[in-house]
Amino acid sequence: MAECVLFPESFEPDWSLEIRRCVSLPATLISTGILPSTAVYGTLTPFSVPSAALTHRFPMPFPLRFFAVSGAGLVVLLLTFPIPAPGDDGTTPVFERDILPILESRCADCHSETAHKGGLDLSSMAGVRKGGESGESAVVESLEDSMLWIMIEGGDMPPEGETPLTESETELIRKWISGGALSASVEETLVTQHEVLPFLFTRCVVCHGARTKQADLDLRTVESILKGGKSGPAIVPGKPGESLILKRVHARDMPPPKELIRAGVRPMESSEIQLLEKWIEQGATAYDITPDVQTNVPDSLVSNDDRKFWAFQSPQKPQVPTSDLSPIDSFIVRKLREHDLTPSPEAERLTLIRRVAFDLTGLPPEWEDVQRFLTDKSTTWYEKVVDHYLKSDRYGERWGRYWLDLAGYADSEGKRSADPVRQHAWRFRDYVIRSFNDNKPYDRFLLEQIAGDEMYDFENADTVTDEMMDALVATGFLRMAPDGTGSDIVDTVAERFEVVADEIEVLGSSVMGLTLRCAQCHSHKYDPIPHRDYYRLVSIFQGAYDVYDWLKPTSVAGQSKQENPTRRYLAHVSGSATKQWQEDRIPIEKQISDAEKEITNRETEFRSQFIAEKLKDVPQELHEDILAMLQTPKKKRNDSQQQLADKYEKLLTVDSDGLVKTYQEFKTVKAASDKQIKTLQATLPAQPMIRALWDRGDPSPTWIFRRGEFTNPGDLVGPGVPSVLTDGKTPFVTTPKRPGSTGRRLAFAEWLTAPEHPLTARVIVNRIWYHHSGRGIVESLGNFGRTGVAPTHPELLDWLAVSFVENGWSFKWLHRQIMLSNTYRQSSALRPESEERDPDNRWLSRMPLRRLEAEPLRDSLLAASGELDVTAFGKPDSVTVRNDGLVTADRNETGWRRTVYVQQRRKELPSILETFDLPQMSPNCVTRPNSMVASQALHLLNNGMVRELAMQFAQRIETQAGQDRYRQIEQVYQDALSRKPTAEETQLALETLSQLTAEWELRRAAEEKTLKDDGTQSPSAETQALANFCHVMMNSAEFLFVD
Amino acid sequence: MQTTNRRTFMGSVANGLQGAALASLFHQELFSGNPLLANESPHQPVRRAYDLSPRQTHFKPRAKAVIQLFMQGGPSQVDLFDPKPELDRNHGKSILKDIAKDLSSPDAAGGLMRSPFKFARHGQAGTYVSELLPHLSRHVDEIAVVRSMFNTHQNHEPALFKIQSGKLMPGLPSLGSWVTYGLGSENQNLPAYVVLDSPEGQLPTNAGQNWQSGYLPPLYQGTRMRSKGTPILNLKPETDEPSDVERLSRDLLARLDQIHKIKRPGELQLDARIASYELAARMQLSASDALDITQETSQTLDAYGIGESTTDAYGRQCLLARRLVERGVRFVQLFTSGQQWDNHSSIGTSLPKICQKTDLPIAGLLADLKQRGLLDDVLVVWGGEFGRLPIAQMRQGNDLKNAGRDHGPPGFSVWFAGAGIKGGTVYGNTDEIGWNAVEDRVSVNDWHATILHALGLQSEELFFEHHGFKEKLTGVEKVRIVDEIFA
Repeated sequence: MAECVLFPESFEPDWSLEIRRCVSLPATLISTGILPSTAVYGTLTPFSVPSAALTHRFPMPFPLRFFAVSGAGLVVLLLTFPIPAPGDDGTTPVFERDILPILESRCADCHSETAHKGGLDLSSMAGVRKGGESGESAVVESLEDSMLWIMIEGGDMPPEGETPLTESETELIRKWISGGALSASVEETLVTQHEVLPFLFTRCVVCHGARTKQADLDLRTVESILKGGKSGPAIVPGKPGESLILKRVHARDMPPPKELIRAGVRPMESSEIQLLEKWIEQGATAYDITPDVQTNVPDSLVSNDDRKFWAFQSPQKPQVPTSDLSPIDSFIVRKLREHDLTPSPEAERLTLIRRVAFDLTGLPPEWEDVQRFLTDKSTTWYEKVVDHYLKSDRYGERWGRYWLDLAGYADSEGKRSADPVRQHAWRFRDYVIRSFNDNKPYDRFLLEQIAGDEMYDFENADTVTDEMMDALVATGFLRMAPDGTGSDIVDTVAERFEVVADEIEVLGSSVMGLTLRCAQCHSHKYDPIPHRDYYRLVSIFQGAYDVYDWLKPTSVAGQSKQENPTRRYLAHVSGSATKQWQEDRIPIEKQISDAEKEITNRETEFRSQFIAEKLKDVPQELHEDILAMLQTPKKKRNDSQQQLADKYEKLLTVDSDGLVKTYQEFKTVKAASDKQIKTLQATLPAQPMIRALWDRGDPSPTWIFRRGEFTNPGDLVGPGVPSVLTDGKTPFVTTPKRPGSTGRRLAFAEWLTAPEHPLTARVIVNRIWYHHSGRGIVESLGNFGRTGVAPTHPELLDWLAVSFVENGWSFKWLHRQIMLSNTYRQSSALRPESEERDPDNRWLSRMPLRRLEAEPLRDSLLAASGELDVTAFGKPDSVTVRNDGLVTADRNETGWRRTVYVQQRRKELPSILETFDLPQMSPNCVTRPNSMVASQALHLLNNGMVRELAMQFAQRIETQAGQDRYRQIEQVYQDALSRKPTAEETQLALETLSQLTAEWELRRAAEEKTLKDDGTQSPSAETQALANFCHVMMNSAEFLFVD
Repeated sequence: MQTTNRRTFMGSVANGLQGAALASLFHQELFSGNPLLANESPHQPVRRAYDLSPRQTHFKPRAKAVIQLFMQGGPSQVDLFDPKPELDRNHGKSILKDIAKDLSSPDAAGGLMRSPFKFARHGQAGTYVSELLPHLSRHVDEIAVVRSMFNTHQNHEPALFKIQSGKLMPGLPSLGSWVTYGLGSENQNLPAYVVLDSPEGQLPTNAGQNWQSGYLPPLYQGTRMRSKGTPILNLKPETDEPSDVERLSRDLLARLDQIHKIKRPGELQLDARIASYELAARMQLSASDALDITQETSQTLDAYGIGESTTDAYGRQCLLARRLVERGVRFVQLFTSGQQWDNHSSIGTSLPKICQKTDLPIAGLLADLKQRGLLDDVLVVWGGEFGRLPIAQMRQGNDLKNAGRDHGPPGFSVWFAGAGIKGGTVYGNTDEIGWNAVEDRVSVNDWHATILHALGLQSEELFFEHHGFKEKLTGVEKVRIVDEIFA
């Protein structure tokens, strides 16, 4: 029967289609090889070949030349045969005769031996076969997979502006490729170990590698493969048929069919088996191939022209146009003048107070503060406002949240339905909030988050200091991506690589302002970021994120056979954190022990009662002796007591369960007590752990994944940073500080936070500017590349960036500069000139009117109602999911905490936040959308919690202002809008309140007829009416928008 | 960047443009080639206001709306639409070493397993359908069966992400989100993309992530509508109050907002907000009306199986789907409760159960749509995230009676009906044992592109600028429209 079944090549998750962020295939194919116009005989000698070996860098003496097509690729030996004369073969085109002339005339300007643009040389068959810069051949078995064909057919090549190929030329190429890409030269391909090792890493090393050496076999190096394991060498060089590994693979015993899921591997592809066979047949040679890293030879893939783009040049501090104004204002005013605009007048004092309070704390100003600031007669009143809120502890909660968006913060793993909760992730959230409150310099902040684990030798430290612990917690930044690999069935190299790619995207979009992901599958189409550079970054992370040697996240219950679910946690917590933890436990432990004592006492009472009842059937005269016997420990009983025991002890003995069965009352008491103890135990803080990323040393090699596919490995690369951001001739040097770590991320972080880095300071100051002014100077906050938007005020951006660094990378300094400017203090009122000449507010001829974002909105609702609990930090507050899908945070004893402390479980985001544009973190959020939709109105109008808050608001007002409607209205306006009502508004409120009260009185009268008083007091009609009024205020535009 | 001039804007308001129409003033065309985008560099992020006003298609559409009957869990193709005599002939034969890579639980793998159900040809076209779907069998001349779909992951979550949003990962916009983003809605008083989960109570795997909007604005997310209780989240006040209280509150709010707006002339955001409150009010009425099935005749209710215990739940969902598309809702997605199609064990009894729940209601829906002339404009699509493997899965010992089938993404069947579909078509094929799609293979991206095509949208031209990139539902790979299923 098997012969009639068509077994496909293989079924493997089809990640080739999972290229997430692509516009189209690369415009350029890059390659490096130079091949002779006349092919020659060559002799092969293994020699050191850098992975992206350039033969022109390592010229071989003529005529003994051979061509390292790619370090991890083919080594080709060419022989030339006479090319048949045209017409000899009428049907199938041959490269030299039919194709080469086309390529020479149409492509050679850019893709020849001398001008290998994108590294591609189309002037010879070898060059064509070698293909692009990542080692992807231009021709392969099928037409659909041929990069050459894809580029031609898709119209991408020849590029725009050049004459396209004619139909007959295109047809000839199509025929040639589908006819097997015939060439007159005969080739023998030699297989290097770096074509074989990648799939041994993918398919085998999980059991035969660094951590586990089943059968004593390690398949990671040629040496260890030759050494073999218990059953002998894995291979016999030159003899594939006798090689154990091939026997096992051919028999399909390896990888073991029944272990595939647990091990997260899939069987070898037939093409892989063929390569392995060939490599063994050719002698299993270990060619001396070194990873491709930047040397002091200038990089050929990125040119100095590429580096000239403004964002890739270090910012220089520009001349400030005028000294009459603050630097910021003078840059802004200059642009305004250029566009025939003038700045708006300064906003009213109250407006500024509210603007500053919301901007810095995400909460409305307190009434007392408003009063104080409004009546301050000094000239520095405004500075005092700014400084007041900069010092507030609420500041870190507001600005930390922006950072959490960038990190893609979540309290759960995501990707799986179970969405396992990430215990201890919140420490990272607290770290971020504290860092903002402490005004931690941004360079330090980044250093810790990217390489905190490499800064200290925490493993060997006698005591873990707070500083060390902070640095470890900070690495949580790179642990935030959604991750489904806690489930065995999705724990494959493909899915692991997805996590790595997400983290690189987080880093690129939030910190570097680069769309790095584009280079995951091919060289970036618009920015000079070669495919190679992406994998050099992968290599930087490989010490901690190794797709072949993976630390699983929180396991999905029932879907993972892994024993230890806490592999991503470190227990290196500081003494103070441990002390804090122990102190936090004491009161709860006391409550637990009290509860246990209490139930033990009750149990004793019931046991006495039980004994008393049973004794009724025993002669009275024995009672005293029996009770004495029961009090006496078994071993100390005398003979008569022993006799009594034999006769009566069983009757009179009862355990807790027995009492539960006997006494209904005890059953109730016991159940309540058990529940109480269980609840208390659940609230006991868990032993502090750190959800961290740390370098484990000894990383696996990094190969370029052609087209982003792990099944399609290319060149071997080493760690490095994007060449375009360097001079292209400085090696990337690592000097590990912590023994056992590679030091790669530390070196990367130090490079990133160097004062002259072209992007780091620009990207962050742009972001801070955006949050204050509603517009980024570069509008595409996460993309400073060529597809990003050019800065509206380039000099201002550079002035801010350089000054920010000069002032110690201080956020608070930056806030102050911006907020004290006249630009920031402008009114938001729209003037005709702005409307006509600056409709988008590109030139900042006013401040924008802005709707509160999700968190400030919810926090303001809580603040107005008096239900805001400002307790900071710690375990996130739980949420409840209602049947209909509504997700609401749970209230604690004193109220609700700020939104940043609510659990951010991916599948259970609080509804109000989602409705008001809090997006899914996938993997992070660079800019939040801003929508204005009916569901927002419905939520504020109808949602039970908002209505409850309105009632709390009303009751608080009654407590504070009494029953006088005037005073109530005034107080509501103060608390909700930080101002007193106008006469018109008061009148309107009074009228509506009296009508509302009448409605509620009618309702109460109707209810009294039908309902008996059950003793519960429902709010009075007056209170109900006031709650409605408060509810309206919470829905009002003025509540929702900040001028 | 196009902006609405304040004077023209205020003028149009003065001329009586209200509510949703107002919102359309903010709307910008989304498709490439539109003059509004012509002056921009192709990759310049554009700030837009988003809304649901109807938009131009790329070309003349066949369908105006979609009803997606999603069968979460993975319906078994070899027991429903894809008969395989080779399975009968080789019943019991082990193919473990070949198939191991597709198994989620290799320990439970049995041999090849014949279908416990009989197949027969139906309709003029003679389409094979198993005995489990007697009611649908009467409509085979309306439907096109595709037997060569394949998905690329053998686990529910990634496979669901793929079929709902084009890739194996979460956080991306679903098909329904793309459709409503591309086309807007014909009815501004109802959500454009409605999800009807089962009254039986359990959400599908991945729950709300099946209808998420990902990086598209949340406006394009699916709205869950429930046939019991409050149909839409927060649609009705969650506390009881006298009816006039709502009116008084709204009046006061309108006055306060007016006072606020007067001091801030020309702020379009404030007008949009007022419009959103007006829309909210209209939605309360429209949603209640759309869900009020007491307006239907008893004959109609019977045709959907409403009132019969087995079919009542799904019958209601199907009837609501019709009522919604009738009212101009663009995309309606129906889920069965939980994963009843995930027949890992006792497929001989568990598969008939879920078929009985859905077969009559679906037949009722097709007949009802046809009778009302809606089938010409509405595309009905049926299928799950994958199919099942042809071998037995023995989770509970060796008794074949308890055998089920494991997930089978490499080949499975789906069907289409309605707008422009060539009824009676059977397209594509799996191999002899119904394991892998081998002939005219249809990828999930092809399937998406085909649905968009029916709606007059070209998948390559429907994009959203995100992180500086033109993101598309169908990604970067070339897609193929399955033209053969259209008349």
